Amino acid sequence: MLACRQLSKRYLTERGVVAAVAGIDLDVPVGRFAAIIGRSGSGKSTLMAMIGGLSRPSAGTVAVGGTDVWGLSENALAAFRNEKIGYVFQFASLLPTLRLIDNVALPAMLGGRRASAETYTRAAGLLERMGLGGYLEAYPSEISAGEQRRAAIARALINDPALLLADEPTSDLDEQTEIEIMDELLAVNREIGTTLILVTHNLALAEQAEQIVHIANGAIV
Amino acid sequence: MRLLASLALQNLGRRRARSLLLIAAVAIGSSVVFTGATLMRSIDDSMAVGFTRLGADMMVVPEGALTNITAALLTVEPTDLVLDADALDKAHLASVGRAAPQKVVRAEHSGVGSHHDLVDLIGFDPVRDFTVQPWLKEKLNRGLRAGDVILGAGRDAPLGSQLLIFGKPHIVYGKLGRTGVGTHERGVFMSFETLAALAGSMPQQGGARPAVLAPGKVTGFLVELAPGATTLQARFAVLSAVKGAKVVTGDSSLSGIRQGLAALLQGILALMILMFASMAVMVSVLFSAIVTERRGELGLLKAIGARRSQMVGMMVAEAVIATGVGGVLGVTLGVLVMRLYERSLVYYLENIGVPFVWLDLSRTVAVAAAAIVLASAIGALGALYPAWRASGRDAYDLVRGEG
Ligand SMILES: Nc1ncnc2c1ncn2[C@@H]1O[C@H](COP(=O)(O)OP(=O)(O)O)[C@@H](O)[C@H]1O
Ligand SMILES: [Mg+2]
Repeated sequence: MLACRQLSKRYLTERGVVAAVAGIDLDVPVGRFAAIIGRSGSGKSTLMAMIGGLSRPSAGTVAVGGTDVWGLSENALAAFRNEKIGYVFQFASLLPTLRLIDNVALPAMLGGRRASAETYTRAAGLLERMGLGGYLEAYPSEISAGEQRRAAIARALINDPALLLADEPTSDLDEQTEIEIMDELLAVNREIGTTLILVTHNLALAEQAEQIVHIANGAIV
Repeated sequence: MRLLASLALQNLGRRRARSLLLIAAVAIGSSVVFTGATLMRSIDDSMAVGFTRLGADMMVVPEGALTNITAALLTVEPTDLVLDADALDKAHLASVGRAAPQKVVRAEHSGVGSHHDLVDLIGFDPVRDFTVQPWLKEKLNRGLRAGDVILGAGRDAPLGSQLLIFGKPHIVYGKLGRTGVGTHERGVFMSFETLAALAGSMPQQGGARPAVLAPGKVTGFLVELAPGATTLQARFAVLSAVKGAKVVTGDSSLSGIRQGLAALLQGILALMILMFASMAVMVSVLFSAIVTERRGELGLLKAIGARRSQMVGMMVAEAVIATGVGGVLGVTLGVLVMRLYERSLVYYLENIGVPFVWLDLSRTVAVAAAAIVLASAIGALGALYPAWRASGRDAYDLVRGEG
């Protein structure tokens, strides 16, 4: 499913060149649940962003389902992000001016492949699955942080992604909420078979993964 | 896409004060542009032609006439100097097509208008005339007869009513449309025959009647060039053939007024350009700030698969909505302002010798549409570059608030 080769990202800063990710080789087969762990600043988010098509590598390649992600044209890359990747951020990432149902439907509408009514039925179904069936018309500011994160997961799933990337999706939430949300992600991985890559601090959670990737200073250890 | 459009609208609503400020600024700018352009077009139109608007290419008058440049010179100015009525005919000039002789008498105490009003009584030859009768807006359902008069647009009396001139009854045969040419607006027109019949009733001024009333004399000719002839050819031909004549062409006769107005128009133009430039700069500065502020949102959109064109489209739509609304308000404002100051404006312009006719409705609408389109275009252009630049950045940098 995923194959990274010599993947690197350097940032130019005032202090000089920072090698956030330095030559990572990583393979994750289809349907697997992989966990990425490592200290803060070790390069986990940067790696995820390069895998998800959000951040262009300084060197190396990312292949998802055989496609060379960073060799794609701009529009093809947008379509890749839209269709193949579900990304759950570390922070609140819903658009504040859209209702939950619109937020969830948005990626499908951007792709423009599905008829709107069908999209909205599917969006409502995903929100229900995340326990938000009562909040379809609510705005993000009207629900809790945990609920917002669930809605973000629903949004990540709207286009049936091949790869679900979750970058510390629960780090700012309480323990109980974290467990609930992790359960949802794992359920998606098990029930739908979506490949899941999860960045986490929670070692207990990482233990449940079929593959654990430990990163330090931008490299796998 | 509907959701992106509603995002654009909601973004405007989220920062209401800023949106209103932008709309207000664009409204002021486009009202200046709209008003300025309408006035310029109107003035330009009204001036550009003068007597040429009446259908003539040039005017032949006695040398020494028309030394003071006023609006009245746009047609034959009443003067004591005269030309022979057959002066042009006798010369058989190839470059002269039609020539319409006119006799103009400026009379006081005629009984037309209030007591001391000066009234131009303008005699024309109904057969040769081509500058008066084409302007008839309404007329009696019969031919022009002796004793009939035609009123300029600036005068008012019902068709068919009786008008006493120096105590003699005349019938109002027709009324002219607005031409913006002073003499035409205020004139009382009649055939040579009718004017001649009036001569006896006119009080003598300093012992003599106006020279032009004598048979065989005219104040001047309105001339249409022969096909293919140039103004220059005709001018030389006339000057060499007719002694004591002077040729006035549209452009030269207007140059004085034009110069006087040039400053005004250039002022308006400069203001418009300035307004435009500052509007464009303002919108693009504002949208650079808006785009920067909205990096996170743009990054998110990009992360979930928005194409670059969709992101740019959203930002541009937002700008176009704001500036377009501003443009519509500006045009409305402009219309109100012109309505409000219409009287004083027209009065002022006519005072400085500029005949003034408002632009017709269809062209005003075109100017208005242009102003609105321009305002929207400024919005689109102002937002385009910042939006394009931001949308090209990595989604990850945008959501992290960089770039
Ligand atoms: N845009 C950036 N500019 C400069 N340095 C960056 C940027 N993004 C990340 N870094 C640096 O790269 C390193 C890895 O960051 P990150 O991938 O966010 O780590 P993690 O997610 O593991 O905490 C850190 O040292 C961080 O400071
Ligand atoms: Mg991180």
